[in-house]
Amino acid sequence: MKAQRFFQDWGVLIAFILVFLYAAITQGGSFLQWPVIVQLFTQNADKGIVALGMTFVIIAAGIDLSVGSLLALSGVLMMLNFNKFIASGTPENVAVIYACLIAMVSGLVIGLFNGAVIVWGKIAPFVATLVGLLAFRSLGQAFAEGGTINATKTEGLQVIANTGFEHSSIVNRNDIPITFSWPIWIWIALALVFGFLLNRTQFGRHVIAVGSNEKAARYSGIPVQKIKFLTYGLVGLCVGIASIIQVSKLASVASGSTGLFWELDAIAAVVIGGTSLNGGRGRIWGTFVGVLLLGLISTLLVTADVSVYWQGVVKGGIILVAALLQRGK
Amino acid sequence: MSVLSVNSITKRYPGVTALDGVSLAFAAGRVHGIIGENGAGKSTLMKIMSGVESQDSGEISVEGASVRFRSVHDAMAHGIVMIHQELNLVNDLSVAENIFLGHEPRKFGVIDFKAMNAKAQELLDRVSCKASPKQLLGDLPLAQKQLVEIAKALSHQSKVVIMDEPTAVLSDPETQALFRLIAQLKQEGVCIILISHILHELLENCDDIAVLRDGQFVGSVDAIEASEQQLAAMMVGRELSDMFPARVSAGTGNELFKVSGFQFFGCQSPVDLNVKAGEIVGIAGLVGSGRTELAEALVGLAQGSGSVEVEGVPVGRGLQAGMRAGLVYVSEDRKESGLHLDLPIEWNTSLAKGAGAILDKRAIHERAEDWRKRLNMKIADVRDPVSSLSGGNQQKVSLAKWLATDPKLLILDEPTRGVDVGAKGEIYSEMRKLADQGLGILMISSDLPEVIGMCDRVYVMRDFAMVGELSGEEISEESIMNLAAGVGV
Repeated sequence: MKAQRFFQDWGVLIAFILVFLYAAITQGGSFLQWPVIVQLFTQNADKGIVALGMTFVIIAAGIDLSVGSLLALSGVLMMLNFNKFIASGTPENVAVIYACLIAMVSGLVIGLFNGAVIVWGKIAPFVATLVGLLAFRSLGQAFAEGGTINATKTEGLQVIANTGFEHSSIVNRNDIPITFSWPIWIWIALALVFGFLLNRTQFGRHVIAVGSNEKAARYSGIPVQKIKFLTYGLVGLCVGIASIIQVSKLASVASGSTGLFWELDAIAAVVIGGTSLNGGRGRIWGTFVGVLLLGLISTLLVTADVSVYWQGVVKGGIILVAALLQRGK
Repeated sequence: MSVLSVNSITKRYPGVTALDGVSLAFAAGRVHGIIGENGAGKSTLMKIMSGVESQDSGEISVEGASVRFRSVHDAMAHGIVMIHQELNLVNDLSVAENIFLGHEPRKFGVIDFKAMNAKAQELLDRVSCKASPKQLLGDLPLAQKQLVEIAKALSHQSKVVIMDEPTAVLSDPETQALFRLIAQLKQEGVCIILISHILHELLENCDDIAVLRDGQFVGSVDAIEASEQQLAAMMVGRELSDMFPARVSAGTGNELFKVSGFQFFGCQSPVDLNVKAGEIVGIAGLVGSGRTELAEALVGLAQGSGSVEVEGVPVGRGLQAGMRAGLVYVSEDRKESGLHLDLPIEWNTSLAKGAGAILDKRAIHERAEDWRKRLNMKIADVRDPVSSLSGGNQQKVSLAKWLATDPKLLILDEPTRGVDVGAKGEIYSEMRKLADQGLGILMISSDLPEVIGMCDRVYVMRDFAMVGELSGEEISEESIMNLAAGVGV
């Protein structure tokens, strides 16, 4: 019983450390170097941000299946508008800022729309966001006429994801300083903010109370509907921010494949991190490490030359083990 | 020979010894009562006898042969069935499907619905349940569901039926019907084991009553000879002084709470009522007479219309407006709507009051510690989940949660249901203390001695309407029951 409690609390961190050590030993010294670690963070920052929002939704005993599709849709909206601004002669840096705002606002508004359908339309979260999963991507593809939209000017956009903080003492093999890209900082900053929001604010406590016992929360005078509504807005906003990072990487958005299956990765990271799918129990740092763990395993599988086709089996197995270790009695 | 006996049963949980060498024997054709305060070990014993949990040491025998239950299924196979307080039925299946769940009559490998419904009808007749086998269980009222649960137990050819607080959710006529059924089963040779907090019920309906205290068997009494006082003293291990505190002011204050022409969902005629500062006013009535519905509408948890005033100021609609006006409702159902059982005690005591947009964790902790002292809660740590507490302490947490909001009028719904004798007395004296400080208290209760002992005035409801008001010397079990049941009108 004590052991189980211990695994519930620290399992994800222990797993991460074990996998990391395994990697360090089997791959030799090459793994324990800044470029590898920084790349792990860079590659997973956008997904990690979505998972942060998802944590709130799941703690409130909800679920959001639409995040991957929403990511594509807000990316498309961002890109279309960016190109329009450029075409109309808006200076590039101003257009970038506008485009980012559009991505965030569209994510937030569509997230709140999900929340409204669930709360006031009284539709089960699974169903309501399943509708989003289908409709939002389809909408994005319709706007993008099924394909990829490239930015007409790329430099300004790419600043967001492809530049960052460098220090002359942290270098790679060729003595070139390593970039701690902005998405890493955004992810960490958001994780801190969300951790504070969950553990230190009335809103966070209300989210937990709603997820733990909705009826008792209502009887306690907690605005249950508003809280649920806001959690979907929060995950929507996270998706908007993640879509900026996605778009910025290549200065383009592929309406058919951007964010495909992200809802599953995000939910998996949240669950591995120790948040209960029944609601009422969860934590932000667990989700953060959960994303890193999944990312690390993907990296390992690639470097170890494991066939792509086997990666799902390994990930599925990890999730199963996490669920087994964390289940109640 | 006893049909079921336990011998030196011991069960330990981390930190507590729930049962310590308990030996008891139960005979066919007899009704056995088991009482004890919350935490005395009753439910653990029941769980062990019905196969939900297994003992650390000791022996269970069925008809003289030693057995070991590995599961509820095992116990059932030996003819022992337990009916839990929270009925184990599936609302979305039919009555017959519920009765035969897990042992459906089959023909050619598929369920033989015709046989199942016919057999279910027989069982329903046997327990005098009016429901039809094909009816959806979820459509039945609670008392009927309980009868279905008993029919389900009988479908297993049970020799021993254990019932945990079977009357807690029943109205008086329903309770009487249940005891008639128990007497009939007794005649048929079934052994019935009843667990209850309601002493007079056990005295009237059992053959003998065993008392548990702190996990140990204290003694057994013959129900014909024993008295309530004797049982209560055995349960708490000391003589009980008068449980109800003396009245000091008895509501001579100003009018605090005034409701007139108030209508709520299902109500038959508009309700008028008032509570003075310092007064404890009861709302009596049978279960299902609309008391909870009225209370929930008054505080804004449900729709309602009419005039509601606190200290002469009209209260807006909605729970938030009610709370701002000092109007709070402590729910009867701690598990479902009253408390967050999985969350720490200190969170619960600050959920209604709040602790700032950015939480003041120290204030939250200190508030819980304050209330723990004030209400004499028996708690290891205020950071433990509420689920770790006994019923009485949970009720105190529920009270603390609402008292923390500095209410002016407290509506208590069944404040001592599932609360042991010791904690009951403490809750009563706290209520009186609050009233003496000028609070108004409106108490919904089905426990008549409690209503008579505590209330300065009593409203009686029947069929979603206010049918009478009693005060002072008029308040008696008889006068309340006459109004509640509509006798002599």
